[in-house]
Amino acid sequence: MATTHSDSETLGGESVEDFDESEQSVEARVGWRYTLSQVREDPTAFGGFLVIVAAAVVAVVTTIDAVVFEFLAQYQVFAQFGVEKYWLAKTVWMSPVQESADTTALLPPVGIENAYGQGTWAHPLGTDDRGRDILLRLIYGTRIAIMVGVLATAIGLVGGMVVGAVSGYYGGWVDDVLMRLAETLYAIPFLVLVLAFIAAFGRSITFAMIGVGVASIPKFARLIRSRVVSVREDEYVEAAKAAGVRDRNIILRHVIPNSFAPVLVQATLQVGTAIIIIAGLSFLGFGIQPPTPSWGQMLSVSRDHMIADPWFSIWPGLCILVTVVAFNMFGDGLRDALDPRLDN
Amino acid sequence: MSDPLLRVDDLQVQFFTEDGVVRAVDGISFDVHEGELVGLVGESGAGKSVAVSAIMRLIESPGKIVGGRIEFDGETLVEVETGPDGDPYRTEATMPDGELRERIRGREIAIIFQDPMESLNPVFTVGGQLREFIELNRDFSEREAREEAVSMLREVGIPEPEARYGDYPHQFSGGMRQRVLIAMALACEPSLIIADEPTTALDVTVEAQILDLVEDLQDRYGTSFVWVTHDMGVVAEICDRVNVMYLGEIVEQAPVDDLFYETKHPYTAALLDSVPRPDQTVEELNPIKGVMPEAIDPPSGCRFHTRCPEAREACTTTNPDCREVGFGDPPHRAACIKHDAFDAAYSGSPPLDAAAQQGFDVSLSGGETDD
Repeated sequence: MATTHSDSETLGGESVEDFDESEQSVEARVGWRYTLSQVREDPTAFGGFLVIVAAAVVAVVTTIDAVVFEFLAQYQVFAQFGVEKYWLAKTVWMSPVQESADTTALLPPVGIENAYGQGTWAHPLGTDDRGRDILLRLIYGTRIAIMVGVLATAIGLVGGMVVGAVSGYYGGWVDDVLMRLAETLYAIPFLVLVLAFIAAFGRSITFAMIGVGVASIPKFARLIRSRVVSVREDEYVEAAKAAGVRDRNIILRHVIPNSFAPVLVQATLQVGTAIIIIAGLSFLGFGIQPPTPSWGQMLSVSRDHMIADPWFSIWPGLCILVTVVAFNMFGDGLRDALDPRLDN
Repeated sequence: MSDPLLRVDDLQVQFFTEDGVVRAVDGISFDVHEGELVGLVGESGAGKSVAVSAIMRLIESPGKIVGGRIEFDGETLVEVETGPDGDPYRTEATMPDGELRERIRGREIAIIFQDPMESLNPVFTVGGQLREFIELNRDFSEREAREEAVSMLREVGIPEPEARYGDYPHQFSGGMRQRVLIAMALACEPSLIIADEPTTALDVTVEAQILDLVEDLQDRYGTSFVWVTHDMGVVAEICDRVNVMYLGEIVEQAPVDDLFYETKHPYTAALLDSVPRPDQTVEELNPIKGVMPEAIDPPSGCRFHTRCPEAREACTTTNPDCREVGFGDPPHRAACIKHDAFDAAYSGSPPLDAAAQQGFDVSLSGGETDD
């Protein structure tokens, strides 16, 4: 027992700070700071976390360059300073969507020689079939992967949370109807469902993203429901009911926060899955449309050159691999940090 | 006497389980007057908690209030009657759900739960939860509610309330958390607080502090209490009047002193016998024999006759209601046919034990019941 607080005020012989340390270490697993400190102690999870942070920074910067600057370029005030789409990339280096004037297509990476010439430092990872710099296109493809992965997961998470929480909290016929619906969705193969969604609404990255999000709702709904069913029996929920709190607020403020830990882990892992699915859709031609750079679409284009110039497909494949593994490692670490039963 | 603040009249709660209907609360009636602290005592499973949950209509499926009437401050919280088809239905006098939630729960009646460890949400700060309850029930702005929360924490004896305001529940000890829950109940200045075994999970020194605190606060705010407990010591300490429950029924109802010194029901007597008393030295405690029967299949006649040392043959056939058996105001009621108020053939009936010894077939006469 901690004796450092012996000077703290006591009341009727009971020490205020007198709580069990071991109990704290279990129950304190609710704070963000604590969770992150746990993750930091886990080298694989922390590695994954760093990769995610790096990718997120790249994604934000490139989004500003591609989307925000394009928007600002419409206005004279900004345009006269030379603001345009890919302004940053062009100023520093070159355009990610247009062929460089002085390069050949399918130039290999530095230090390798192929039928088209010798790799140069001007294009460290080589050029693609239209002479565009691969490194730059990979950097700009991060934006799509991260944004689409996170947004698709967010759609699934929010939708699943609403469905699962309502289903678990109310029980009875509401539960039956919602869960049977979720299981029906679950029975259809994931990719088929997403393709059907795109077929119905149109071939664009937005619908691909929404499709992946909607298709992952059942997974989240079932997960959160299983937690809610036990949390709703907790006494603080009944206490809130007895205090006249509305059902909606009980669900939002008491039930969901206490059911959230496993969902957070699932969401992190789901981002990885969503990135793969979206890349797969782009590969099939249903996702992002050229010339916007995306990893999946780069992979798709590289198919014809896979034997002769394998590096062309290796780079985007590697990017997808590293990002997805990073999300999975972070998700595993998060699970260890949030699971009160694992005492590491 | 003036109209009671809370009047529970013939309340019946049943749980419809797969094994059959459990009659958890079977027709209990009691009053709580303004400023009074009324005890509800009984063994585990007697239906105490169900009875108080029913007051706030917190009974959840498969449980259901199937009869009776609960009146609070002149308003009908619930009134259930049996329709012509035999199904119970809520009458029009019953307060709508929304109104009950908005006006009664938290504002007029607050409840303190048994387990202080579980009754606070672990993911929010103690102060934040207290503030939320105050904001919700007293129409305060966020800043006013915060100030009120801090002053409530000070009121219930939390040292350095400003500093403790931002702490999480796990950083409080059990006694401190119970103080927080009391603060939460009091914060909305209700007229009635239902305390469902609030000190059971605490050790005795902390329990004593909490009881002192409650008495002190009750003096100051004049709040009425319904105090659920199984501890006769707590009853003696704080209650004004006591209801003793056994298997879903109230068996004795009396002012606290009468209950202890002029015990009228064998069950109450047995309860008092089974706890150590400072004024008596005994070799061994005398616990009540056997366990309480299941409420799904209660014994015929008087429900306590299977364990009652004074049971006679007549007890197996007559289930007595709670009648006035003593003089005084407030009245002393008991549900035992050994008293003259019951016109049952108790004195002429042979004792159950003796009957068994003499070879009488008890089950024959037990077959006809009025239940």
